[in-house]
Amino acid sequence: MASADSETRPQEAIPQAVKIIIAGGFGAGKTTLVASVSEITPLSTEEVMTEASYGVDDIGGVEHKTTTTVALDFGRITINHDIVLYLFGTPGQNRFWFMWDELAEGALGAVVLADTRRLDTCFHAVDFFERRGVPFVVAVNRFEGSTVYREEEVREALDVSAEVPIVLADARERESCKEVLVELVTHVIRGRDPVMSG
Amino acid sequence: MRTDGVHGHEAAADGPPEETLRDPVPNTRRHDGEPGEERFLRPFAVTAGDPGAHAVLGPEHAGVDMLSLVVAARVPGRHEWLRPEREAILDHALRARTVVELAAEVGLPVGQVRGIVAAMIADGSLQRCGPSRPLGRQDILHAVLAGLCSL
Repeated sequence: MASADSETRPQEAIPQAVKIIIAGGFGAGKTTLVASVSEITPLSTEEVMTEASYGVDDIGGVEHKTTTTVALDFGRITINHDIVLYLFGTPGQNRFWFMWDELAEGALGAVVLADTRRLDTCFHAVDFFERRGVPFVVAVNRFEGSTVYREEEVREALDVSAEVPIVLADARERESCKEVLVELVTHVIRGRDPVMSG
Repeated sequence: MRTDGVHGHEAAADGPPEETLRDPVPNTRRHDGEPGEERFLRPFAVTAGDPGAHAVLGPEHAGVDMLSLVVAARVPGRHEWLRPEREAILDHALRARTVVELAAEVGLPVGQVRGIVAAMIADGSLQRCGPSRPLGRQDILHAVLAGLCSL
């Protein structure tokens, strides 16, 4: 077949794709945060798993078992010619953790969105990133009508170490979400480059 | 003013829910000639029965992950009429795209697209592309920080 190389081989610079994970319990505002800072309307894809047998059986060729489809939302921020940042909202329910491993692989870091009315829903996320050694910040999403907690109270309730930044955020506000991401990346750089911490 | 109970389902009230649970059949509607008519194909049918292409889990997948960048290395051919997924992927990969974007655009689960993409790289239909300027982790972090600050 005639090659389409001349048309399809891109002459433009190909950027490096990097990612940040937005985690938190169901309804904590992950999708809202992604939408607030993404330059595109967040895209959605799916993952399919064979629920009954995952982790138990070899599922190859045994497609008649119960399968589950879980949505995965993501947004994009073009940083510059060389880098495109993807923001992935994690599936909120614990049983979809099989996806977290791949999402976390190579991620620059993670934001754990905490809903103070249901702080317990983000325990698992905190635990996951601590165990995986993925640097993260906790962003306390301010919901109308929720009690305002001080940073220390949230820190104590979540039992995260003193180095992990805890910031207040409003997932609906672009500026606020931007600050959360800046806080995360600053935290990651500080952790990797002790010269910068001071 | 919402009640806590309503807030508990905040995502559903504000837009698409963060998780959707559906029945097994992937949505391949967008490839169909007939609008609104679903094609009922099992995942292994979409990947042409190739067990290697069908893995729905695991980053071990031939080194192709969600953020791998690929570009079409040829135009869709006549033999693609039985494999509309490949044609759709080729159509969307005229410029370098990530696997996860292709999945969203062709409306297939990302695990399946990863498998198909791996097979298409192997048969020369797609070409994997690395970044034009590979950067170290620290350079990336500083660039991302600067980029976010200037948003």
